[in-house]
Amino acid sequence: MKAMLNRLLRRILRGPFTARLLKACGVNPVHYWLLVDLFGRLSERNEFMTQLGRSGIALKTMAWFYFVFLSAVGIILVFARLSLPFYFSIFLGITAMFLLALLISETNNSLVNPEDGLVLAHQPIDGATYTAAKLSHLVRILLYVVPALNVVPALAGLWLPGAPWFYPFLHMGAAFAVGLLMALFSCALFGWLIRFVPAPRLKTVGKWMELIVWMSFIWLPQGFRFLPRIRSSVLLAMPGWLEVLLAVLAAVVIVASVIMGLRSLSVDYMLRVSSIVHGSSSAPGRSRPPRKASTVSGWFGGQPGRAAFKFILQMMPREWHFIRQVAAFVPLLIFISIWMAQGVGVSPFSRHFSSWHVFPHIFGLMFYMICSVISYGNNYKGSWIFLLAPAGALKRFAHGVFGLLWIGFVVVPHLIAFAFLASLWGVGSTAVFIAYSLAVASFYLGLTLRLIEGVPFTRQPQVSGNYMMLPMLLAASVVIAGAVALQYFFVFRSILAVLAVTAVIGTAAWLLTRSSLRRLAEIMRFTLGLVSGESKFLYQEIIT
Amino acid sequence: MGSCIVDFSQVVFSYGAAEVLHEISFKLKRGEVIGLLGPNGAGKTTTLKIIAGVLAPGRGRVSVAGFPLPEQAINVKQHIGYVPEAAVLFESLTGQEFLELSGRLHDVEEAVLQTRIENILESFDLTSNRLRRLESYSKGMRQKVLIAAALLHNPDLILLDEPLAGLDVNAGIMIKDLIAALAAEGRTIVYSSHVLDVVEKVCHRVLIIHNGHLIADGSAEHLKVKTHQSTLEEVFRKLTDSDRVDPAVAHILSGLRT
Repeated sequence: MKAMLNRLLRRILRGPFTARLLKACGVNPVHYWLLVDLFGRLSERNEFMTQLGRSGIALKTMAWFYFVFLSAVGIILVFARLSLPFYFSIFLGITAMFLLALLISETNNSLVNPEDGLVLAHQPIDGATYTAAKLSHLVRILLYVVPALNVVPALAGLWLPGAPWFYPFLHMGAAFAVGLLMALFSCALFGWLIRFVPAPRLKTVGKWMELIVWMSFIWLPQGFRFLPRIRSSVLLAMPGWLEVLLAVLAAVVIVASVIMGLRSLSVDYMLRVSSIVHGSSSAPGRSRPPRKASTVSGWFGGQPGRAAFKFILQMMPREWHFIRQVAAFVPLLIFISIWMAQGVGVSPFSRHFSSWHVFPHIFGLMFYMICSVISYGNNYKGSWIFLLAPAGALKRFAHGVFGLLWIGFVVVPHLIAFAFLASLWGVGSTAVFIAYSLAVASFYLGLTLRLIEGVPFTRQPQVSGNYMMLPMLLAASVVIAGAVALQYFFVFRSILAVLAVTAVIGTAAWLLTRSSLRRLAEIMRFTLGLVSGESKFLYQEIIT
Repeated sequence: MGSCIVDFSQVVFSYGAAEVLHEISFKLKRGEVIGLLGPNGAGKTTTLKIIAGVLAPGRGRVSVAGFPLPEQAINVKQHIGYVPEAAVLFESLTGQEFLELSGRLHDVEEAVLQTRIENILESFDLTSNRLRRLESYSKGMRQKVLIAAALLHNPDLILLDEPLAGLDVNAGIMIKDLIAALAAEGRTIVYSSHVLDVVEKVCHRVLIIHNGHLIADGSAEHLKVKTHQSTLEEVFRKLTDSDRVDPAVAHILSGLRT
């Protein structure tokens, strides 16, 4: 039955009407369907693993998560007896925000990292056809995410005072319209970027666009505070007809920008694809003084440890996939930093709740993000180099991975915090707090090292893991909130208690890290195929 | 030899701030086999990519088969076959699927396409592997698939960037014979390679690019006479300052001994 329906749908979609429509949009229908089939097949065979719209499992998981979350929000708001227009606008706003973040990320991923484009660049495919085929998966995202966000809120809205019987249809229709608008806006935005940003800089600018969207979500509430003031001081001073004229003009400008953006996206994309893929900063790589590096190698596993230290240090700021994933965490980090700066006057030992109670636990979230994604990278085919490492080198390489993460992300921030806080809280209190925080952060690092699934940056990026990250982060936040509460009520009551807990956590961190490093070395050997012999592709590369 | 098929005039190309082609000009005639030579980073691949419509020139004028680039890149791509230097393929497709994709994108009629695929796979001794995924192919087999994909639509202009890389001796000989046969049929072939004796044997004309400048253009015989050298390799060494290769080798060895 399902197969029959699929065949029918396929026949209708690929019929003369769609072909005429595609032609009218400047898309070659034959090439379009060839490319759609190609991308579908490549996704099925796990060659395209970074696009949400092509991963049914990732889409369904994410849709279920949004469904549960937004259903709860909808029911709570119905019980709060909000006015219907306000309720309606809240869900349209949420739909727009979620989809904007998701679609900008997906468009960026599809257009700015088109490795398939290299294979197809010399084929007679025009830009409009390629981009249309490449972005068709955005429609699939809309079909999953819009209902997940809105079905229950649309039905629940019927219980609000004054809701007409057709409210669910109105709600869903508007939500789909907003989704479509966001999709067009995302495509048009990248059309403008591709037109005006030099191709080698496009990857960097794309990352910034994603970051700006996330940042804007944090600052949006601040903007809403100023909105009534702007409205009262500017708009109310205008005559009504001018307000309407301005609104119409704004709408025209937005529509024209979207149309022009879409046009520029399609015009000569295939000519730029090679430069986009190979684009990178022309700045020469920096080399650190060898003395510091040799000190590190002495501490963390000799030359293989030094290799790991330098390799990760060099790859982190250059690996596009890694930066994209971690960048989503940056706005949250900025938000927490501001919160802590505001609460710096309250010492965690003052018996009042201080924002600094959270400080040690931020490292837990940070290491969760880093360790979850560090194994994956766009340059994964270079992993053959690790197959040539002599026996035992990977164990010491694992120590180097730990060394970089511990020094760079635990020791250095704590030294900075110590210098900053000592003058405010006194050297003694600050030293105890920093020692406690160091122990907790090291414990989190020891724990999250277990999330690393191979040699850093040597596995093909996968979409399925990425979209589980948000639910996992929320769950981790709940656990951390519990830890902060326990810490506030039972630990930060006396210096002695803090010192005792520091000793216990420090010892646990040391033991856990030792065990995690053994496991990391083993998993690195396993994923490289040295244990299982699974890495057929890599071996064949070497043999030939 | 016939009319001009490629007109490359005063072309400048830059990767960011680095200019890699400096006002290069040449014309290629139909039926010619042109050897494109130059040291690593000289600009050979960039030149081929511009002719293939994959990169747009920064300045200057390029036309292929009468179609200006980059404006009519799609028409140009219908007339060319391109074997890129790096064997970039869709790893999860089978050899048969990849060739079908390439042929269909060039609008080759299905029955003709299947016949050509069968013939070409048989000639390249790939018939038994045609249903295996490309990820399991050896480097030489991938190279054969790329060459086959470049020939399927019977192009007028064939751009070969290091086509013999990874091929076994028999396949190499076959490709050399194929180049000669295609040229005899009126196809134009641009052959970029570091294997100078092959270039000397199969090419009617040699272009040498060095540091983004076209420093030599003529037949191998003409260049040998002009530079008073006996082989193309010696011509190449003289024109590209490769005489310094021997001291470089000594330097590497002394470095390894420390």
